Amino acid sequence: MGVVFEVAALKVLSSAAVLLFGTVLLMATARRISTCAYLFAFQSLVLAAEVASVAYIQHSREAYFVAAMVFAVKVIAIPYALLWLMRRLHTPHDVGASISPGHSVFVMAGVIFVSFWAVRLYLRELRATEVTLAAAVALILSAAFLIVTRNKALMQVIALLVLENGIFLAALVTIFGMPLIIEMGIVFDLLMGLLLMGIFVFRIRDTFDHLDVSRLRRLRG
Amino acid sequence: MIEPIFVIFLLLFPLAAILGYLGAGSALTRKFVPYLLLVLLLSGLGFSAIAFVKGNALNLHYASHLPFATGFAVDRLTAFFLMVICAIAFPATLFSISYTEPHSRGYCRWYWCLLPLFIFSMVLVIVSSTVFVFMAGWELMTLLSGGLIAIEGASEDRRRGLFIYLAMMHFGAAAVFGAFLLFVPGAPSLTFEAIRATGHGLPPQVRTAIFLLAFAGFGAKAGIIPLHLWLPKAHPIAPSPVSALMSGVMLKTAVYGFVRFSFDFLAAPAPWWGYLALAAGAVSGVLGVLYALGEHDLKRLLAYHSVENIGIIYLGLGTSLVFLSHNAPIWATLALVAALLHTLNHALFKGLLFLGAGAIHHSTHTLDMEELGGLSRRMPMVSATFLVGCCAIAGLPLFNGFVSEWLTFRGFVAGAVFDGGSNELILPLMAGVLGLIGGLAAACFVKAYGISFLGRPHTPRAEQAYDAPRAMKLAVSLLAAACIVTGIFPGIVLRPLLALVGTIISGASAPPEITMISRGMPVISACVLGVIFLTFAVLRWKQIRRMVPTWACGLPELTPRMQYAAASFSKPIRQVFRSVYKPDRKVEVLPVDRPYFPEAISYHSVRTTSFERSLYRPAVDLLISAARGLRRLHTGNIQAYLLYIFFMLFSLLLYLRFSQ
Amino acid sequence: MRLAVNVAQLLILVLAAPALRGIIAKFKAHIQRRQGASIFRPYADVLKLFRKEDLAPPTASPIFRIAPVVVFATAVIAAAFIPVLSASSLLAARTDFFIFVYVLALGRFFISLGALDGGSSFGGMGASREALVSVLAEAPLLLALTSLAMLSKSLSLAEITRWTAGQNFFDLSPVHLLAFAALGIVAVAETGRLPVDNPTTQLELTMLHEAMVLEYSGPSLALIEWAQAIKLHVISALMIAMFLPWGLSTILTAGSLALALLLYCGKLLLLAGAIAVIESSLAKLRMYAVPDFLRVASALAILAVIFTVFIRK
Repeated sequence: MGVVFEVAALKVLSSAAVLLFGTVLLMATARRISTCAYLFAFQSLVLAAEVASVAYIQHSREAYFVAAMVFAVKVIAIPYALLWLMRRLHTPHDVGASISPGHSVFVMAGVIFVSFWAVRLYLRELRATEVTLAAAVALILSAAFLIVTRNKALMQVIALLVLENGIFLAALVTIFGMPLIIEMGIVFDLLMGLLLMGIFVFRIRDTFDHLDVSRLRRLRG
Repeated sequence: MIEPIFVIFLLLFPLAAILGYLGAGSALTRKFVPYLLLVLLLSGLGFSAIAFVKGNALNLHYASHLPFATGFAVDRLTAFFLMVICAIAFPATLFSISYTEPHSRGYCRWYWCLLPLFIFSMVLVIVSSTVFVFMAGWELMTLLSGGLIAIEGASEDRRRGLFIYLAMMHFGAAAVFGAFLLFVPGAPSLTFEAIRATGHGLPPQVRTAIFLLAFAGFGAKAGIIPLHLWLPKAHPIAPSPVSALMSGVMLKTAVYGFVRFSFDFLAAPAPWWGYLALAAGAVSGVLGVLYALGEHDLKRLLAYHSVENIGIIYLGLGTSLVFLSHNAPIWATLALVAALLHTLNHALFKGLLFLGAGAIHHSTHTLDMEELGGLSRRMPMVSATFLVGCCAIAGLPLFNGFVSEWLTFRGFVAGAVFDGGSNELILPLMAGVLGLIGGLAAACFVKAYGISFLGRPHTPRAEQAYDAPRAMKLAVSLLAAACIVTGIFPGIVLRPLLALVGTIISGASAPPEITMISRGMPVISACVLGVIFLTFAVLRWKQIRRMVPTWACGLPELTPRMQYAAASFSKPIRQVFRSVYKPDRKVEVLPVDRPYFPEAISYHSVRTTSFERSLYRPAVDLLISAARGLRRLHTGNIQAYLLYIFFMLFSLLLYLRFSQ
Repeated sequence: MRLAVNVAQLLILVLAAPALRGIIAKFKAHIQRRQGASIFRPYADVLKLFRKEDLAPPTASPIFRIAPVVVFATAVIAAAFIPVLSASSLLAARTDFFIFVYVLALGRFFISLGALDGGSSFGGMGASREALVSVLAEAPLLLALTSLAMLSKSLSLAEITRWTAGQNFFDLSPVHLLAFAALGIVAVAETGRLPVDNPTTQLELTMLHEAMVLEYSGPSLALIEWAQAIKLHVISALMIAMFLPWGLSTILTAGSLALALLLYCGKLLLLAGAIAVIESSLAKLRMYAVPDFLRVASALAILAVIFTVFIRK
């Protein structure tokens, strides 16, 4: 029985990266904010599974706790909050893309290629770790791309969350996770940030009557 | 023994030209010159085919009592290209016999004078073994084809097109000449033998400069993007058989030159040479076919397709150079065989398509696809052979275009799949580019054939089209038969081609793909044809069929305007690739002050290709402003000119002093 | 013996094709809580059409007669490439997947010409849309198969199947996942199923493939319908052979062949179920949303090729 779990854990570790690449590509082609929220939930699910596998292999109880926390907060709470926000705001669902989703897919393919190429300089022995590290870099770069090319405020929030996912994964792969207390700190930080953003989004909407970041240019002199 | 015959063969071309000029008056010489030319070309075809297959007709002819070194040599590569020339020139001449019938006596005189000379100039370029003969032939090609274009008429855009053609060809010739001249320090006699001997020893910078100049010069002639601007301007305004020759053969002389330079003279290529050729080939292939999709003039569409096919040839050449530089001669052989086979195939099917377009023009006096339609019933033979040409250029199995595209594809993936050790990423990705090009070409030719030949005629001109004359039909049938035969039995051409490439790239065994396709293609063709015939045989008892008008949604009848036109057929694809086209669109509503009650609306759309706007216009403007700046040196003052001379002397003195 | 097995594979692919269509329709009917027609209904349709009269519009040229036969012939020859029961096929010896793809392209070329031959607006519309889809689907198809070929070090479909069957299922590399996703999207586009094209639609403005064959009737239409079914079966068999080939018989005894046949039927049923579920849950994409869909396939296929090189290191 334990052997099955072992094999499953190793399989999760090696194929998780591909699923993450898949979410990176799909987030580029998404046309609705809710789609991105679901993709983010799926991404966090994959991350939680990875943490759980690492926990199983390394027999560390802390890691189980982190996995549970990631699951509870990033897979369930935050996406639910985002979708609730969208429903309350009555915003249009459109993602506000300045580079059309059709062409963003090719940019993302290039991003994935670049992340592999960049990671090659820091090769480790395990094949799985190389792919996963590249996935982490790809998540970070794709989040940067999304922040720049998506004009809606909620998309910026989701992109920041994806960025945090990428950093989390990078930490997991290189140093097998940060200490528990730091992980909890980061998660609470995220929750606070989301709470603040939730309040501000209502204020922005009430003041400007839209949530389009590219139109917020009153700061110009 | 062969040498005198060869010289006589060469000299008969100018003789035919002189006879054509002098004898345009009498009907006897008017009939005699074409047949003389036909016999000449047929014998040339036979001679070069034997030389190509047997490979032993290697004669060298060197005449040293002329001021410039003159010499001719025929090796396997020369024989191959000579075969291509004669194979296309023969049907083109046959076609010209009917083509020149309705024209005036003055036209026929010039035509039959310039055509043999044009073919002669191309032969000169191929068989030359010295730089003088090569460049003479090269420049003559441009001038003579320009002359043949000029005799067609003198309208404004025709003159502008001719001017652009001559200017760009001159630029190309200058680049090629520069490349040759860079060999002078090592090979002052400027024969190909001497050049070949010194090619290895040159320093890397000189080799790079030679390669770049040759690439630019031959690329301008071949029609690589961005040097392709003259192609869609020159081909439509030339007479149809001359368009066939230009597109089918003249572009191939540039390929010949490029192969000579990179494989023969400058052996041992650097890796980036191959990648440059690959990039040029990929861009030309994709953009060429995309621009072709936007055209509805049949000849301009075919001209853009020439750009695309030259792109495919350059893809093969680039792959071969890359493999040579990575020291994998087997795959280099495979890629070079693919490129050379595609030059032959393209000559065959492009010649066929241009001659078919010429037949259409002869019968309907228009080449605009929007005005054609339903021609398959009026011109059945031309329609059938044009279909063969369309299937061949779309790269469909059973026709020759498929074999060369298959070999190019195998060239891309062979290294990655079989060698395994190479970290080559670009080559397998080129397989996707080739797939895109093939799909776009097929779509474009569904449009070209379907709109022109199928459905209902769009205009009375197409309705009253008459069938083509016998000579034209014979010409296109010959080419169609060649396409089908080389498509089903590719081994006929592939085995000698393998031997040819073996002389260029040494030290490699035969790649397995050659035998694979030589044996596989007849099998597959037999299977497909077998199933087709079987199905027809089984269904024979259902041959009785009623004619029922197409359902017109309740309207009394379908009019020709309800069919899809060429522009509407390609609209979805043009919409998807709109970042390439970027048309200028202007909609004017008259009267301007009352837009809600329009009396007239005008829609104006100009599809200048982006290159003309973003590359050529700025380049030409830069050139003109530089020339204007230089004009300031011409002050008109004698003392200023004397100052220039003294300044030159002074700097020469300084240079001599400090270079000791 | 091997020849008999290969011929049997071809016959299975050709003769069982309408049944596959019937099975998918049955699954869809059950999802919609209907009984649905019998799974042998497509056979009855084809036989009925063979007995009907063959009509032609007055604008028809010889292309109109030839096109259905060419489509059928190319579909049958394409079926001869795919391994079903064992890792070999009739035409596997001297061919590779490039020839396979282009044989199908030959059929598509002629049916597009046949559509334009009818002289109606719908024919042109169908041909033009089909041209768009085929242009964008060709590159990902070739690239995905190339990536699999690079992994298995061979370009022949039978060899790729044999190599994949020799691998451990749990060792499938990311390349396989990416190629599967890319090929899945391309398969939907090539066979004209939802979300690219609705094969059961009656509205001409929503048709892609059906609009091309509106003028055909009688035996010609029967051949076209059968060819379409064969194409669906062939591409399904291709997907199974590339990604789920375990269970192919290697020793060619009656027992192992029977087992292979049984396993193949099971996999085909699984695939049919997946197709039915996907078709019932997705709506047809707007015409200009299809290129975006296919662009995702292109990006996935490019990534598959890139990963092949990176995985190999």
